[in-house]
Amino acid sequence: MDSKISVKNLDMAYGGYVVMEGISFDVQRGEVFLIIGRSGCGKSTLLKYLLGLKHAGNGKIFYDGVDANELINGDDFYGRKIGVLYQGGALWSSMTLAENVALPLETYTDLSSREIKELVDLKLALVGLKNFEDFYPAQISGGMKKRAGLARAMALDPEILFFDEPSAGLDPVSARRLDDLILELKDGLGITIIAVTHELASIFAIGTRAMYLDVETKTATAIGAPKELLASSRDKNVVAFLSRGTKTPALTSEERRMLLNNPTEFD
Amino acid sequence: MVGTAELKFEAEDAAEITVSGAWNLRERNRSPTDCVAKISSKKSMASVKVRAVNLEAWDSSLVSFLVGIVEVCKAQNSSLDFDGIPAGALKLVDLAETSKAADVQISEKRSKNPLALLIGYLVAAFANSKNFIEFLGETCSAVAAFFKRRVRIRAQEFLVILQDVGVRALPIVALISFLVGLIIAFISILELAQFGASIYVADLVGISMMREMGCIMTGVIMSGRTGAAFAATIGTMVVNDEVDALQTTGFSSVNFLILPRIFALALMMPLLCMFSAFIGIFGGLCAAVIRTDLSITQYCMQTANAVFVNDFLVGIAKGTFFGMLIAIIGCLKGLKCGRSAEDVGLATTAAVVTSITAIIVADAAFAVIFASIGV
Ligand SMILES: Nc1ncnc2c1ncn2[C@@H]1O[C@H](COP(=O)(O)OP(=O)(O)O)[C@@H](O)[C@H]1O
Ligand SMILES: [Mg+2]
Repeated sequence: MDSKISVKNLDMAYGGYVVMEGISFDVQRGEVFLIIGRSGCGKSTLLKYLLGLKHAGNGKIFYDGVDANELINGDDFYGRKIGVLYQGGALWSSMTLAENVALPLETYTDLSSREIKELVDLKLALVGLKNFEDFYPAQISGGMKKRAGLARAMALDPEILFFDEPSAGLDPVSARRLDDLILELKDGLGITIIAVTHELASIFAIGTRAMYLDVETKTATAIGAPKELLASSRDKNVVAFLSRGTKTPALTSEERRMLLNNPTEFD
Repeated sequence: MVGTAELKFEAEDAAEITVSGAWNLRERNRSPTDCVAKISSKKSMASVKVRAVNLEAWDSSLVSFLVGIVEVCKAQNSSLDFDGIPAGALKLVDLAETSKAADVQISEKRSKNPLALLIGYLVAAFANSKNFIEFLGETCSAVAAFFKRRVRIRAQEFLVILQDVGVRALPIVALISFLVGLIIAFISILELAQFGASIYVADLVGISMMREMGCIMTGVIMSGRTGAAFAATIGTMVVNDEVDALQTTGFSSVNFLILPRIFALALMMPLLCMFSAFIGIFGGLCAAVIRTDLSITQYCMQTANAVFVNDFLVGIAKGTFFGMLIAIIGCLKGLKCGRSAEDVGLATTAAVVTSITAIIVADAAFAVIFASIGV
């Protein structure tokens, strides 16, 4: 069995508030697995369970066939096995970008400080942040924070990378560059990637397979290659989501003006 | 012309509303809510018609008015016709209605039953203290691991915190302590002078500043200053996922965030308390020299005779303990913070209130303990 992650019958809840029920899926080694769905459906929550930030009451999560609960208490799971890029980057605000990336290296390797500096420079250059080493997170833009967060997530060359909405809030060019980077990580380094995303362009460009979480039924209603889902899924919510760009008419200029609170002249 | 809505009853159960004029959020449209109230006050209503006549302009004030009409028609089970209302407005009304229908209830319903409420509070209080004890356990084992040299804390981070809780706190501590010493002296001089015992003001000020007021005042100041800052900093880190990021990079938030703060306060608080005590004594001295005929030397001699080493040690011990208390409470409130900006505010307030209360309670306990063992 070559599945990198395998989730069996996972229920997700915050206290008594059920988010999703009976989620099962496998992520293959070296694929880009997307978690898609409307906002508030529980994508970030699912990541929390996968990352061990929330503990599965019902259901099991396996990494390489080993129960995640055992791995999480071990030494090598975080940092080595997995890396995470959070929605807002989640850089440690009291440290510069270079220190953010260096910290995992300092903690988990015996490299000399010169080697660490070279690695940090490399990782920051990979995400296009050369020359920003000494900036603090508060001094850079949202998109840059995300990229710096990615550099940190990649610091120890993890086997699996998790992304929470990597391209949200980025300009179109940066978003496409991030997509390219994700594909390079997958093809070049063979990293398994799990990403939450909304962006249709990204979904079709990078997704090997996608899983749709449905808010209404609180279950995963479809898993498959994005193009196939669009072409042949029988679930109307999935199709509507994936074809959103073409099916929903945009607001008219009149409605837009109204939303901006400017009275519209009529005759 | 401002926007108006006129209601006419064509029959007992048929209404017609005419909207006209320029509907503008920033102007006062003429009592549109009236219509809704009048329609809903009818026993039954078969049909409602909304007509636009000379509608010059519209914005969300019209949409919100129409949504009100739609709701009341639903409640009355009456038919509703629109005539001449701009299509854009109708589309927005539709949108508002569908998203209202899809409204999901997220928070659980609170029971109004007082018994259920009481039980709820007790469970919450229990969970709270369980949280606290778990956290305390984690912290203790982290401290132990630190002294076994299995955990390191980042020196740079520690020094920054140390500076903030130490040197930067000196001015405010000095000001408050000076005034407290002054006040104690003033009040006691009034009383003691009646017996010709003004000299004992030095004893009073010295002992109370050394044993009690120095520690309590510093504790209160540091709760408001540093405990709040810890809770706010860590709470903001929770909101920004930084604490999750620590964990998923394999760092323990206790080692990384809590230990340096506890060490910093445990180190600095006793020093601040002693500093406070000396400044307070100086305040007392000023009051005594101004208000009585005691000389500076007399006052100092008297203070030296009154204050013993054990008073000094009591102050140091309490200061250390209060420091750890403030740090632990501030950090815990920060870590348990919710996920919004408002939650950070709540965590900060909770940190201040809890640590001030804890300090006073602990001080009372210390008073009893020290009295019974005679220190
Ligand atoms: N800390 C929390 N406590 C309670 N409910 C939460 C919490 N975080 C998220 N939720 C709820 O769980 C649901 C899923 O949230 P989330 O996983 O963040 O959605 P998304 O798919 O947009 O990432 C939402 O309805 C949200 O209100
Ligand atoms: Mg999310």
